[in-house]
Amino acid sequence: MSDTIHIQIDRADGSLQRLIGLVERRGFHIDAMSLSDEGTVRRVQLQVRGRDDGRCSENLGRQIDKLIGATRIGLAPAAYAYPGSVPA
Amino acid sequence: MSAVATAISAKAANAPRSGARLLVSTLKRLGVEVVFGYPGGAIMPVYDALTGSGLKHILVRHEQGAAFAADAYARSTGKVGVCMATSGPGATNLITGIANAFMDSVPMVCITGNVATHLMGTDAFQEIDILGVTLPIVKHSWVVRDPVDVPAVIEEAFHVARSGRPGPVLVDLPKDVQVGLTSDDFGFHYPNEATPLDHAAIAEAEHLIRAAERPLIYIGGGVKIAGAVPALRDFAERTGIPSVSTLNALGSIRTDAPGFLGMLGMHGTRAANEAVQDSDLLIVFGARFDDRATGKLNAFAPHAKVVHFDIDPAEIGKLRAVHVPVIGELKSGIEALTRRMAMTPLAIDPWMIRCTSSARRNAFRYDAPGHGVYAPALLNELSKVAGDSFVAACDVGQHQMWVAQHCEFSRPEAHLTSGGLGAMGYGLPAGLGAKLANPEAHVVTVSGDGSFMMNIQELATLRRYGVALKIVLLDNSSLGLVRQWQELFFAENYSEVDLSDNPDFVAVAQAFGIEAFMIDRRDQVSGGIARLLAAPGPCLMHVLIDPKENVWPLVPPGKSNGEMMHDTRFDEGDM
Repeated sequence: MSDTIHIQIDRADGSLQRLIGLVERRGFHIDAMSLSDEGTVRRVQLQVRGRDDGRCSENLGRQIDKLIGATRIGLAPAAYAYPGSVPA
Repeated sequence: MSAVATAISAKAANAPRSGARLLVSTLKRLGVEVVFGYPGGAIMPVYDALTGSGLKHILVRHEQGAAFAADAYARSTGKVGVCMATSGPGATNLITGIANAFMDSVPMVCITGNVATHLMGTDAFQEIDILGVTLPIVKHSWVVRDPVDVPAVIEEAFHVARSGRPGPVLVDLPKDVQVGLTSDDFGFHYPNEATPLDHAAIAEAEHLIRAAERPLIYIGGGVKIAGAVPALRDFAERTGIPSVSTLNALGSIRTDAPGFLGMLGMHGTRAANEAVQDSDLLIVFGARFDDRATGKLNAFAPHAKVVHFDIDPAEIGKLRAVHVPVIGELKSGIEALTRRMAMTPLAIDPWMIRCTSSARRNAFRYDAPGHGVYAPALLNELSKVAGDSFVAACDVGQHQMWVAQHCEFSRPEAHLTSGGLGAMGYGLPAGLGAKLANPEAHVVTVSGDGSFMMNIQELATLRRYGVALKIVLLDNSSLGLVRQWQELFFAENYSEVDLSDNPDFVAVAQAFGIEAFMIDRRDQVSGGIARLLAAPGPCLMHVLIDPKENVWPLVPPGKSNGEMMHDTRFDEGDM
């Protein structure tokens, strides 16, 4: 199953490489990708698929959130909607 | 990140200054006291600007030593460590040190020179895309393309390195940016971004703790990083909940405190691992469920619910399902939890008695047979004699695990170890960085004959600056931990682990101008420790130990933490 992630990134040295490297390093294939430039920022749309069942795209999203100069669009994790968390 | 910064000055200097001079003045403005580095062609303008600047530079003998020393400086002080190197090989030699800081969340700013911007991408002499090479192991990185940006980028680099979950950052300075002139000097102020406390989650955490019969505190390295050690100790004391620690968190609770059961995991204590396996609630503070701590993940703490406090949302549920995540700054989170818990005591006496009696029953013994030096006993005695000012800078291998198991630590800054990366060669430069940062402390590098040779050149740095680092070199003439695994898990096929042709380490140290002596009998240990600690300058104690000695206990790879192997020599009681 693949998920689509929309990200806005700065036009800084290595920013696209940093994003794509993170996605692959965290165990995801990139099945499709589009890129558009909007002035000082770029919008990137990634269609990703985990290499195995243990890969959670929401966890990948939270790794992307940590990138400096990158923002996920339209995907804010709810306070307790943590995949991998279970009802208390 | 830059959106939160506000410009605090945009003044024109009297005379234009170079990017290199702006770098040095910005480092000084940020309070940097010492920089570890090694010059080369593409960073010469920076070294030119260092002269007479008042910024202390420690010239190491290999760039990896600079990165490790800066890492240990940061770990032992809580400040940001700074290292610098030239382009190409200088920059690539930093990589292991950057990875080490990344794995253990150490704040570090690495500054590399590079070829001029018009030469980048042409395979110029000593040109390496160090930004590209280091992308997976930095928190962030920059290429500065205009000298006017130098102060702003350096200030942002320090902010990124130390804020949130800390980590190493890299700033690549092309040579034309170092020599280029500008009259501007933009500074930025980065406010601390406090995350609001998640009171609802903390209330849920309290609810789970009160409902638990066998709660256990699982302490990670994040506690120290967050400055949350007093908060943690207060929580543990007021609630009476027993605790276990990861390798990187040792000392967060005094290792001799009642209720502290030791390190968990592969070479943890039996009491700690049993408690984790029996627990019905893990209260995790700033830990990441590393495989060396958990053993076989799906058999780890099988009966436990999990409350996880962490500043990094990406750690929640990464490896282990979490019942209550509390995301945010640890110190205020633990303090808020303590305020809720302190009102009514817990009724967990039977559990506490079970844990502490297990700790007594499984306590380490130091009465191993024979007259040779028993390394665990030596390390235990060393930490006791050195006392609360003891700081151990470990290398990687059997001796590293023995330090973790047998030394007593009164604070987490007392235990500097390459935890996540497990980088041999860390110990000597780490000891250098830690001793420079803590000149009054008993800083002792504990190394092995394999690890020591990986950065032995830094003995010259000790000598040059008169750094009174003490070195305990535990020599079993082999790569001991690999040898142990070959003995236990590879049918005693000892492949490429024999180091019996090591040099004479005492003679080598003396050739570097460093006092050194050798011991090989148990009755020499106390005298050796006294001589080592009393030496006015750097000193090396070369300790010959039994090559067959193993690290016990041990969770075999792929096994649950409940399946520990142990030292059968002690099975029959007195020997």
